[in-house]
Amino acid sequence: MDPAGPEPTGRIEVRGLTKHFGSFTAVDHLDLDVAPGRITGFLGPNGAGKTTTLRMLLGLVRPTAGTATIDGRRYADIPNPLTVVGSALEATNFHPGRTGRNHLRVQAAASGVSDKRVDELLELVGIPAAARKRAGGYSMGMRQRLGLAAAMLGDPHVLILDEPANGLDPEGIRWLRGFLRHLADEGRTLLISSHMLSEVEQTVDDVVIIANGRRVAQGTVEELRGEPTAFVRTSDPDRLTAALQQRGLRVAPKGSGLQVTTEDLAVVGDIAHASDVAIHELRSEQTHLEELFFNLTETEGDRNRLTGATSARAGGSPDLPPPTLPPPSGPPVDPSVIAAPPADAKETGR
Amino acid sequence: MSAAIRAEFRKFFTTRLWWGMAIAVILSGAAFAVLFALVFTSDIARGPQGAAVPTTDAALAKAVFTGGIQIGYLLTLAIGVMTIGAEYRHQTITATFLAVPRRGRVMGAKVISLLVIGAFYGVLSLAGAVGAGALVLTAKGHHPFADSSIWRTLALSLLVLGLWALIGLGAGILIPNQVAALLISIAVAWIVEPVLGLVLALTDWGQNISPYLPSRATAAMLESTSGGFDGQPVDQLSWWAGALVLAAYAAVMAGLGTWRTVRRDIA
Repeated sequence: MDPAGPEPTGRIEVRGLTKHFGSFTAVDHLDLDVAPGRITGFLGPNGAGKTTTLRMLLGLVRPTAGTATIDGRRYADIPNPLTVVGSALEATNFHPGRTGRNHLRVQAAASGVSDKRVDELLELVGIPAAARKRAGGYSMGMRQRLGLAAAMLGDPHVLILDEPANGLDPEGIRWLRGFLRHLADEGRTLLISSHMLSEVEQTVDDVVIIANGRRVAQGTVEELRGEPTAFVRTSDPDRLTAALQQRGLRVAPKGSGLQVTTEDLAVVGDIAHASDVAIHELRSEQTHLEELFFNLTETEGDRNRLTGATSARAGGSPDLPPPTLPPPSGPPVDPSVIAAPPADAKETGR
Repeated sequence: MSAAIRAEFRKFFTTRLWWGMAIAVILSGAAFAVLFALVFTSDIARGPQGAAVPTTDAALAKAVFTGGIQIGYLLTLAIGVMTIGAEYRHQTITATFLAVPRRGRVMGAKVISLLVIGAFYGVLSLAGAVGAGALVLTAKGHHPFADSSIWRTLALSLLVLGLWALIGLGAGILIPNQVAALLISIAVAWIVEPVLGLVLALTDWGQNISPYLPSRATAAMLESTSGGFDGQPVDQLSWWAGALVLAAYAAVMAGLGTWRTVRRDIA
């Protein structure tokens, strides 16, 4: 879009980013890298500081300290930024008395984009007819799609999406995954925040996890996931260990049973059967990533219960103070259980 | 900058607010013109008991044509409040600043668009007022366009509506809750401030202050005479001084609002 300048690459760099809301530290010396042309999941429990970080990156919130740049420039220094960075922050950013189409036409006028593109995008996200009605009656899914269309308006290289799957039904989430993959295949850089690992785990290449406004982990999904392991409890651990090791599997004692480095439970069962050992329990274990994330979200739930209605939203800061991070432990849990309701529902429900 | 201004106009004309306001402005302009024309030309008002009634045809025409301006500027004041208040209330301010992150530029676009929108409603108000008022005045045997200063009054009334919209813009930012901002600014502009002006005019020291209040400056700018509690015409500034004073109020309010907006976190 800027023929005079160098081709944008879409690298996002965050260095020492800090934000205090009064005495509360929402984001605490955060470093963050998003590589060009990849999908990066920005994960953390509700109140970890994700939204505040994204809002600082987009020039909406003024950092207390540190920098956040896109291709080496602050957002406010990018001329006509919608053509470089597209973002969808919240699902509620529409005037209820204005149609979705007119909302996009306002944004198009502000960034010099043609009105024809507005209608093309409404086709692309699948709401061409509905967008001619006033936005007050839109469902959550409609709002998310309209938000995505707004983000795509200037055909940007970089897309920053805050909880894009919130409020989508399973069919909508499937559509979203395909849509995001399509965008990434076109070479765009995507930064997607979520408080649900399961929502983005299959979509993203890289993961950044934050809690308490600080970075907890960063890496590719494969790196953070670690090797798949199985847990087996048996009548004769020594004999089974020997048999498994004989077949080249790594085995270590764990609790009342053994941890085997494999994702194939059948192999373990077959070996046990062949060695004439009785199996009392055999299951896949959580990956390291799941375990790490579960501990964050679980304790975050406790924290919400304690703070209750005094949560920071009313006090002007959008994020809750998250808890300290416990060591990874606890029983294996289906990752779908991690799917916590949105912060609002949780706070009012208790 | 022109892109930001175009976006502001689109925002304004894509909700139902604008035509509801347009109808109100035309009707109030026409209704007050007819009312004033009938009252000021009635035998009672022009008799020995009458007071503060325009005596010349030119003064009469100015009073009649600008009779609905107070309702008009209260409405554009509300438009000014809602221009920014609705953005914060419905969080469209996020989209606005994402498209144009230089917030001073956004505020500049709002100021320019509000001045144009004020003039637009001014034209509507005058269409109603001049149409209906000239008819009544002519029927009563008065010349509706006795001298050229009437045209200056009409032109300045377009500016009046724009300047009050800017006062509203500032109030809409300085009072964060949109509903509170609307109620407070309308109540102050409609009741508190005019009454204060009349009360001040009764005291020796206040006499020198009251001409500088916004409503008094507006009346001075339009050269529409108005009476005090005693029924006698009150002192007012010359038309150009009134214009400068009202412009100063608009500049201070819009300036404070811009200063506040540029610094604010949009969370």
